[in-house]
Amino acid sequence: MAGPLATLRIVEIGEMVSAPYAAKLMADLGAEVIKVERPAGGDRARTRGPFAGGRAHPEKSGLFIYLNTNKRGLAIDLAAPRGLAIFERLISNADALIHNLAPAEMDRLGFQYERFHRLNPKLVMTSVAPYGLSGPRRDWRAEDLTLWSDGGACYLNGARDHPELPPLTAYGYQAGYQGGAHAAVATMGALFAAARGAGGQHVEVSVQESVASIIEMANTFWPYMGMVLTRYGPKPVQPLDIFECRDGWIFACCVEEHQWHSFVEVMGNPEWASEELFDERFKRGVNYDALRPLLADWIGQQSAQDLYHRAQARRVPFAPLSNLADLVNSEHLRARGFFVDVSHPQAGAFKYPGAPYRLSRTPWEIRRPAPALGQHNDEILGGELGIAARELEALRREAVI
Amino acid sequence: MNQLPLTGIRVADFTWVWAGPYCTMQLAHMGAEVIRIESATRLCVSRLTPPWFGGQYGVNRSGYFNQYNQGKRSITLNLKHPRAREAALRIAMKSDVVINNFAAGVMDRLGLGYRHLVRLRPDVIGVSLSGYGDNGPLSSYVAYGPAQVPLSGMSALTGYRGWPPMHVGFSYGDPNAGSHAAFAILAALYHRQRTGEGQYLDMSQWECTMALIGEGILDYTMNGHQPERDGSRDSAMAPHGLFQCRDMAELVAGRPVDMWVAIAAADDAEFARLAAAIGRPELADDERFATLAARKRNEDELEAMVSAWTSARFAAEAAETLQRAGVAAAVCATGRDLAEDPHLKSRGFFVTPEHGEIGRATQAGIPWRMSETPCSIRSAAPLLGQHTDEVLRDVAGYSPVEIEEMRAAEALK
Repeated sequence: MAGPLATLRIVEIGEMVSAPYAAKLMADLGAEVIKVERPAGGDRARTRGPFAGGRAHPEKSGLFIYLNTNKRGLAIDLAAPRGLAIFERLISNADALIHNLAPAEMDRLGFQYERFHRLNPKLVMTSVAPYGLSGPRRDWRAEDLTLWSDGGACYLNGARDHPELPPLTAYGYQAGYQGGAHAAVATMGALFAAARGAGGQHVEVSVQESVASIIEMANTFWPYMGMVLTRYGPKPVQPLDIFECRDGWIFACCVEEHQWHSFVEVMGNPEWASEELFDERFKRGVNYDALRPLLADWIGQQSAQDLYHRAQARRVPFAPLSNLADLVNSEHLRARGFFVDVSHPQAGAFKYPGAPYRLSRTPWEIRRPAPALGQHNDEILGGELGIAARELEALRREAVI
Repeated sequence: MNQLPLTGIRVADFTWVWAGPYCTMQLAHMGAEVIRIESATRLCVSRLTPPWFGGQYGVNRSGYFNQYNQGKRSITLNLKHPRAREAALRIAMKSDVVINNFAAGVMDRLGLGYRHLVRLRPDVIGVSLSGYGDNGPLSSYVAYGPAQVPLSGMSALTGYRGWPPMHVGFSYGDPNAGSHAAFAILAALYHRQRTGEGQYLDMSQWECTMALIGEGILDYTMNGHQPERDGSRDSAMAPHGLFQCRDMAELVAGRPVDMWVAIAAADDAEFARLAAAIGRPELADDERFATLAARKRNEDELEAMVSAWTSARFAAEAAETLQRAGVAAAVCATGRDLAEDPHLKSRGFFVTPEHGEIGRATQAGIPWRMSETPCSIRSAAPLLGQHTDEVLRDVAGYSPVEIEEMRAAEALK
């Protein structure tokens, strides 16, 4: 069995997270992904930790390894005319190009869709850009933090009882992951259209808009009610909150009325729970300042795992807070085969987070470790594009590859 | 070629709340005919959740529902009734994709499980989008999107330094599982286009959420290390955080809204530009701040100096000044900032489709553009049961008389 995308050839020019994550999702479902990096240093993710063994090394970056496993790697200088010519040969028989070059960099390199379309009319070219390819902020400098902020996610998070503390970003590179996931969806839609005869096209993905698309009710509260959601203001429905237990943390979650009633039973029907202040989910939201200490007091005496299972036994969707060790040791995830053993020539052997989905006929699978910078230059440029060994040597000498 | 990528693809959508609806909205954006099977006997939680348009409660007035169900049709079926179950089966058999996020076994009990459907329609793509996936000891457990943030390990990594683990502020597990599901469905459709084969997709929201912290998980599996929470700081950049600006002048809901600007200096050169922009060019040569290592050592002091500059300015003004100097900065946007954002406006991101009850409300649109198959918000979210009759007639093949009988028997509630 091969993955559902085993016939697709994708070329990626990706830095950090967004475009690399989109191409990773495709590689993991069988697509052949060729990642093109700058010969000088490669993808900036190579400079980011965590590093296997703890010391910075371009082939040991956990971020790079996570996002680029299953890909082959080329190092080509696209600013050199001969480098660009090689790149054009590469995309002449590719199904998709996924990149996140900045719009100004696209201009400098002459990366116009029309040009690539002439070379390969079936090519889907996906441009992932912080702010898209148009508009007054097209060329703004962006990092993950600024995009998570500008998309409206960051403002929603922080210490409820301490408005003096700043809004708080989420771990890692969440704007990049969201830009990447939405880019994968859009690219796959365009590839499906191409398979049905639509030909190639240019797909543009804005990371800011990807974030602004997922912020729950925060993007409609203003147009619908003239209200702004804040990290410290009341939430419509409660409890949806993290509490400390005597031996860990738990997420208390009562969205529907029956879930609250069942949770009250789990707590042994305390008298306060029948007060009018708390007898309906919106009231529990409005009166959460009164409710929270009562819940914290009771939950604080419980064991997290025990409360989790007791709540779930009554269909109340509580969940424990996991440390990374809890994930790796989870019997459930083991039964699902979530973690996959990966062996990397320089980073060693480790467990790798696996498939977020199981497709019954066409598996998700790991086929190769993340590439070293330029690892497949000879294999792809010599073996597949037929560039003579002597020419490769010259290109290498001139730092084109 | 003005057909959309999924023109002619029908999706029977048995999902509810947010993860499933976010998934099927992606498919609707691309032209799929998405039929949401709803019931007045068990209203979708998102119809029961604010914001209410104009502040007035109503099952068709929720911004939450109306945002994430654009471009779909709605039919009401009371699946406790055998004739409703038969109608649901007929719709499913006419659909390319059948998706649910019920707990394991519910679709089977309704006679709508994949094993049954595939006998009637071998190329169907069946999708289960549950909290924990189809197998494993916790597969019967229920999950909501916000619980996925702590469950996935993301909360343990998110928080102020030295403070308890934190959430991310919204139900992140849902839309993330939805977009991953949409991608997997498109991959399965692609495979079907090539081979004629349908298949079954077992999706776990938990696993989709863990996919977002892969590099953190690798720190543990490679090094046995659980990273410390460190606020909004970054080990590779300084400054990197949110800095307080002047409050929004107008009051919202009776109080001023605090405003912040996000600033990230990726390297020493960007820090030098930042220092110049805030009127402290000498900091670039100050040994306490000249290098990343030095800035990380003196980060509290550094942040205080940046704050001293930002606190005298409005956030938009601060962001623009820093961007002119070539520094990554952006407003920590509120919902109002987004709605009034000139950049998003110039890109046409927000849309105002005509809705059957509330008229034209502003909704977020589509975060991608396609040059040859231009996706668009083709219609506002449906009223509850707005398309019941036409779906029963056109898709399920019932006569008007049969539809009236079913209604009289209370199967269409």
